[in-house]
Amino acid sequence: MPKLTIDEKEIEFKQGQTIIEAGKDNGIEIPHFCWHPKLSISGNCRVCLVEVEKMPKLVIACSTLASDGMVVHTQSEKTIKARNAVMEFFLINHPLDCPICDEAGECKLQDYAYSHGVGESRFDEEKVHKRKRVELGPRIMFDAERCISCSRCIRFSDEIAKENQLTFVKRGDRVTITTFPGESFDNPYTLNTVDICPVGALTSLDWRFKTRVWETSSTESVCIGCSRGCNTEIWVRNNKILRLTPRQNEEVNETWMCDHGRLNTFKFVNEEDRVDGPHLNKNGELVKVEWNEAYSTAFKKLKEFKPGEIAFIGSAYATNEDNYALVKFAKSLGVTNIDFLRHTIPGDQDDILIREDKTPNTVGALLMGVKPLAGGNGSKQIIELIRSNKIKALYVMEDDLIGDDSEMEKLLSKLNLLIVHASNFNKTAQLAHVVFPASTYAEKHGTFVNFQNRIQRIKPAVATEEMDRTLDGMSQSRWDKFGSKYDRWMQGKKFDANPSWKIISRLSGQSNQQLKYDTADDVFEDIAKSVTELKSLDLDDLGNQGVELGSQKVGSAKTVNSELS
Amino acid sequence: MSILEIIIITFVKILFIITAMLLTVSYSVYFERRISAWIQTRLGPNRVGWEGILQPFADVFKLLLKEDIVPEKSNKPLHTLAPFIALFVAFSTYAVIPMGPEVTIFGYKVNLVVADVNIGILYVLALTSLGVYGITFAGWSSGSKYSLLGGVRASAQMISYEVSMGFSIAGVVMMASSLSPVAIVNSQYGWMWNAIVQPIGFITFVISAFAETNRLPFDLPEAEPELVGGYHTEYSSMKFASFFLAEYANMIIASAMIVTLYLGGWQVPYIDKLGLGETLTTLIQVGAFFAKIGALIFFFIWVRWSIPRFRYDQLMNIGWKVMFPLSLLNVVWVAVVLMIFN
Amino acid sequence: MPDKKRKKDLTFAQKLYLPEIFKGLALTFKSMLKPSVTMEYPEVKFVPPAAYRGRPVLVEEKDGTERCVACGLCSRVCPALAIEVQPEETELEKERYPKLFEINMIRCIFCGFCEEVCPEEAIVMSKDYELVFTSREDAIYGKDKLLVPVDQLKDRLEFLRNFK
Repeated sequence: MPKLTIDEKEIEFKQGQTIIEAGKDNGIEIPHFCWHPKLSISGNCRVCLVEVEKMPKLVIACSTLASDGMVVHTQSEKTIKARNAVMEFFLINHPLDCPICDEAGECKLQDYAYSHGVGESRFDEEKVHKRKRVELGPRIMFDAERCISCSRCIRFSDEIAKENQLTFVKRGDRVTITTFPGESFDNPYTLNTVDICPVGALTSLDWRFKTRVWETSSTESVCIGCSRGCNTEIWVRNNKILRLTPRQNEEVNETWMCDHGRLNTFKFVNEEDRVDGPHLNKNGELVKVEWNEAYSTAFKKLKEFKPGEIAFIGSAYATNEDNYALVKFAKSLGVTNIDFLRHTIPGDQDDILIREDKTPNTVGALLMGVKPLAGGNGSKQIIELIRSNKIKALYVMEDDLIGDDSEMEKLLSKLNLLIVHASNFNKTAQLAHVVFPASTYAEKHGTFVNFQNRIQRIKPAVATEEMDRTLDGMSQSRWDKFGSKYDRWMQGKKFDANPSWKIISRLSGQSNQQLKYDTADDVFEDIAKSVTELKSLDLDDLGNQGVELGSQKVGSAKTVNSELS
Repeated sequence: MSILEIIIITFVKILFIITAMLLTVSYSVYFERRISAWIQTRLGPNRVGWEGILQPFADVFKLLLKEDIVPEKSNKPLHTLAPFIALFVAFSTYAVIPMGPEVTIFGYKVNLVVADVNIGILYVLALTSLGVYGITFAGWSSGSKYSLLGGVRASAQMISYEVSMGFSIAGVVMMASSLSPVAIVNSQYGWMWNAIVQPIGFITFVISAFAETNRLPFDLPEAEPELVGGYHTEYSSMKFASFFLAEYANMIIASAMIVTLYLGGWQVPYIDKLGLGETLTTLIQVGAFFAKIGALIFFFIWVRWSIPRFRYDQLMNIGWKVMFPLSLLNVVWVAVVLMIFN
Repeated sequence: MPDKKRKKDLTFAQKLYLPEIFKGLALTFKSMLKPSVTMEYPEVKFVPPAAYRGRPVLVEEKDGTERCVACGLCSRVCPALAIEVQPEETELEKERYPKLFEINMIRCIFCGFCEEVCPEEAIVMSKDYELVFTSREDAIYGKDKLLVPVDQLKDRLEFLRNFK
């Protein structure tokens, strides 16, 4: 392999790599604004200037190909002087907005001004003023003054989102970004430009002015918007989710995420209509009760029916652990009518990330055995059997059977017993005789299997009543670490909910066949014993990148710290 | 005079003295606080009553209402007895201090002293030695290392300084040829105050008096920085108050003793030459006695807020190597004076 | 014990103690005659100088808005985690303002870091030292208690311009 020397360190590189790539692969970071590993090379920011021996002038590391025997200096006097000068140029017209800028804290310009800037400006004229509030699209706000014209967003929409919507207009210090005439920056991936914007020029309308990044904690999770299962980070302050951002996983989503997943998959967690504590239908009204009363009532009522009169509905929204526990519980009752519903929007799919199947765990639910057992019926027949009064009791876990279907609503109201696990009071839950409050994906440990057969882990980011951020090893912000119960910023709402597998495990405690699970890990251990596809898999094997089923081997765990920005 | 009359008169005198003592003691606490404040350019207690004049009563009520805590490991009978000894000794010493000359009230010839004992001085010495028991008992019975150290220090200190105190008094007794305080006062007629005649004895006595009353700079038995509260660390409520009162009572007695032995008692030089009436003269004399005591109490307080505490070895050095020889010297000096003038 | 040689031997007069003691007594007697420095608090109130660090307050501009832009630096720098700020968007030029600004006066240690870090001179230490509350809830000061008109803070703002 060819070799080059960067800062007296000899490193190997692949033919065709640029200096900046070769350095990055070997842990040498060369400062950059416009260069992004996933985008084409633009070479306009000039901050990656390095000195290469035998070259007459400094060269930009992002577009200079590495060659064998090259000697590069990134810390030489000449380089540092040039870099300082470039930084000074950037800061001439960049407003001192950090106190009101949402990017502050995760801003590349701020970081570089700190590490590579000279600390003072010689520019005492008036800065250029531009429009500060431009709505580029329905989800994006653009601050023209802050823009450093790196063109990352333009290249992104062109190359990744495949919709050429943005462009530069004007020249010199009047240059600014705008959409093409009559167009709105509204492709399904626009919010990724907020992530890659090295300054605070592009901000998300949803996240704007909500909090400071350093006041939040972040937790690794997986998006539940579709069966892609994009890797995400959940950002939480005071037990409330404030935003989702994509996390790097080259096999699944690279570093991107769609706007739908980013905006619409977390708000229900802190919604007003959350089921807070178990509820029983008493005289036509759902009343909050103690857990024990809910368990004993639910079990007693369930026992009033013959196994043939009962049906179980699992969920592709629920984790493998939840579905597995449900199936096991159904079996212990002798019930064979078991299935789950598919939620697909035909045609809503592209070859970037978005999938037709709008649930994150269809493959997982099938693997866990959420399908009619021998002699049992599938979802369509179950509905028919309810209509003909053959099935009188229905156990629904984390799904809404009704939605906008009024016929289904009438049908379900015929049932003698409807037990529902629900995170929010949807229409199914409102009809139920017993409602168990289910934790959302952001409140529990578990695994999903995406459409690529890749099993991925989720971790709790929001605490429920039974949880404690410290004791349960959840990620903590500075506030969480040092707060006490007397501080207002520690009094965020905690819902009285439990993961479905735990509810089922405790419910089964009413019978003599208890499922003895204390943690999600226990359930997973059990799964790894009995489900062939997951044989010998351990939660620790999943890392933060997941494992493709069938390819697992010991030590295949991979943990990647996202550094693409 | 019948026995009954003597008993009634004595009883009245005792009552008067105890009341006066209690008042002066509590007010000397008040003055201590005010004077210390002035020395430190503060104001001191000035809220209860006019200029804080009712502060002593507030203090007493506070102490009365406090919980009386007796340590579990203490020797309870002795722990309770100790403050009584201290207080009893302090108050009974006053019996032999003459406050004025013989007066006639309602036709009765009354000596302004509770008991004109011919060995009064011996009585005082005996009682002050007894006082050390109160402190020693308190220190030992509390079952606390701080208290014990305080008690041990107190007894060692008192014994050491009792010696020089005794020898200083010897000079006075030689001058008066009597052990009766009344006789001693009478012997200091005119300017023949013992403080002038035998200054060395005066100084050694005053210093010993400071040591005997455990006042700064000799308050090692209750040295706060090292012993918390010394012998009264484990005392609270009224028992603590008893020690507190006893300390101030001792201070007043020490002042009274100094006045009696060295500053002419109730004598005002040459007042009889002025030809004032007998009643007025007596009143002035009694007033002079209390004025002298007041001045000395002020001196005690003043010294306390000016001079830092001695180290323990310094205390013992001064006691045995300085005070003791000096008081012996004083005896010799008095003897020489007596030989020359008689 | 062997004699330790002192750096400077005491003179005979010093060894006598008494002259030094009388010097000391004279000194204390003199100070007894000096006027007292005590301030009798509830009647006489201490008016602190501009450098005094009383409770932190928010500057209220003449038009009734707060100067604060809710950047959260005070909250971040606060060593006692006393300050909580929640921003929100505003139509004003400053773009953001604190929807909620709370200082927990039980946590506050009056270090003045918040004032020092503030880029807008929006939070300053006032002269107010009379802080009384009877419950933990009362000790959390919201914007209603924190906002003080800029006129009342002229002293401190001037001090900061000169010495910060």
